[in-house]
Amino acid sequence: MRALVCLAIAAGALVSVALAAQDPPKPFVEARGSVKPVRLLPGGPPPRMADGHVDLSGVWFPGPTGRANAWSVVPDAPLKEDPIPFQPWAAEKIKSMSRTEQQLGNAQVTCQPLGVPGMWTINPYPHQIVMTPRLFVHLIESNNNWRVVRLPRQHKPKEEQEPLFMGDTASRWEGDTLVLETISLDERTWIQGNGWFHSDEVKVTERLRRPSRNYLEVQYTVEDPKVLTKAWTSAWRTYSLGSEDLTENFCTNNENVDQLLKLYERERGNR
Amino acid sequence: MDILILKSLTEVFSMKATIAIILGLVVLLTPAPAPAHHAFAAEFDAKNCADITGVLTKVSYENPHAYLFVDVKNTAGQPEETTFQLSSTSNLRRGGATFPVLNASVGKEVLVRGCAARNGEKSRYAASFIKLADGIIQRVGQDVEGIFGTKIWR
Repeated sequence: MRALVCLAIAAGALVSVALAAQDPPKPFVEARGSVKPVRLLPGGPPPRMADGHVDLSGVWFPGPTGRANAWSVVPDAPLKEDPIPFQPWAAEKIKSMSRTEQQLGNAQVTCQPLGVPGMWTINPYPHQIVMTPRLFVHLIESNNNWRVVRLPRQHKPKEEQEPLFMGDTASRWEGDTLVLETISLDERTWIQGNGWFHSDEVKVTERLRRPSRNYLEVQYTVEDPKVLTKAWTSAWRTYSLGSEDLTENFCTNNENVDQLLKLYERERGNR
Repeated sequence: MDILILKSLTEVFSMKATIAIILGLVVLLTPAPAPAHHAFAAEFDAKNCADITGVLTKVSYENPHAYLFVDVKNTAGQPEETTFQLSSTSNLRRGGATFPVLNASVGKEVLVRGCAARNGEKSRYAASFIKLADGIIQRVGQDVEGIFGTKIWR
């Protein structure tokens, strides 16, 4: 046993000495703009509106730091979620997409409206929620997308439904959780940026809660009988209260689509 | 057991080698980077990056990406316009790379770290940092090479 351990260590040493013989790794570049993340404290109980419901108002950044984390020095913790129960044809369709095709269908790349839940899932920028007891206003910095939902609200009658990028949203409170149920979503929107498309029968149910002053949590359930074998529910995503305002972010000069199309043509030529 | 192994190791290898073993094991056990969720990996080659020096001629501060235009001397010594794609104006502003900060280096020599486009266009890169004319090293894009010890969006 001891001989085996020594042998393993000797083998590891050979690999390590070989690695050590290479050029030493360069030190990290210290640059203005890199962010060393500091997690916000809970901040006490959440504020409440005049009607007693939790007030979700605030500028909310993805992650726990209350600020932009695009250039964070610590990778995001991966979300632990169940596999998405795609029907076989849908799984095959997504799998067959090249990386370039996937980018060309992603609303964050093409500057199309992000939809629901794309406003959460395909958007790395902050959100601003403005609430009154009768209104939920959701503004996002990404290409200045927005939606407004009355509280509470029922869906429009079926004969009045039409495809919309932000869909038709019904709203209600379940205790301290705001529930938003959206149907009639335009099929050009995606559920996630990984190619997860949806059908005209999709229903997205978002749940928003504010467990403490500094944190917002968002979960969504997708029901789509034409694409999924059963409903799928996301993990709770964490957002934290920022002290900055949203900034202007209009998409006015998108060169990426042309660049990706050139790449797509090269890929097709190589097939 | 641990003490015995450590003792035999120190007998066989110098302390330097022991440190190399530990570092080697850390390298071997480091998890792979997270999968991409952005256009960078599709459009640019994170394995084909270089420090590029030239004169900054223009800043296009727009979305979804800002751009820098830099005159870089080719092998014949002639200036050639090189385009660097940056992050969004949202990320740039919050990271200190405001339009006035970048624009102050127009007409002056800068160094830009850029990774080449995959679509065959020469002189087109994505940038991760710029050394401005005043010497400040400023983040302007994603850390696809891991040079800041930060997120890797390969």
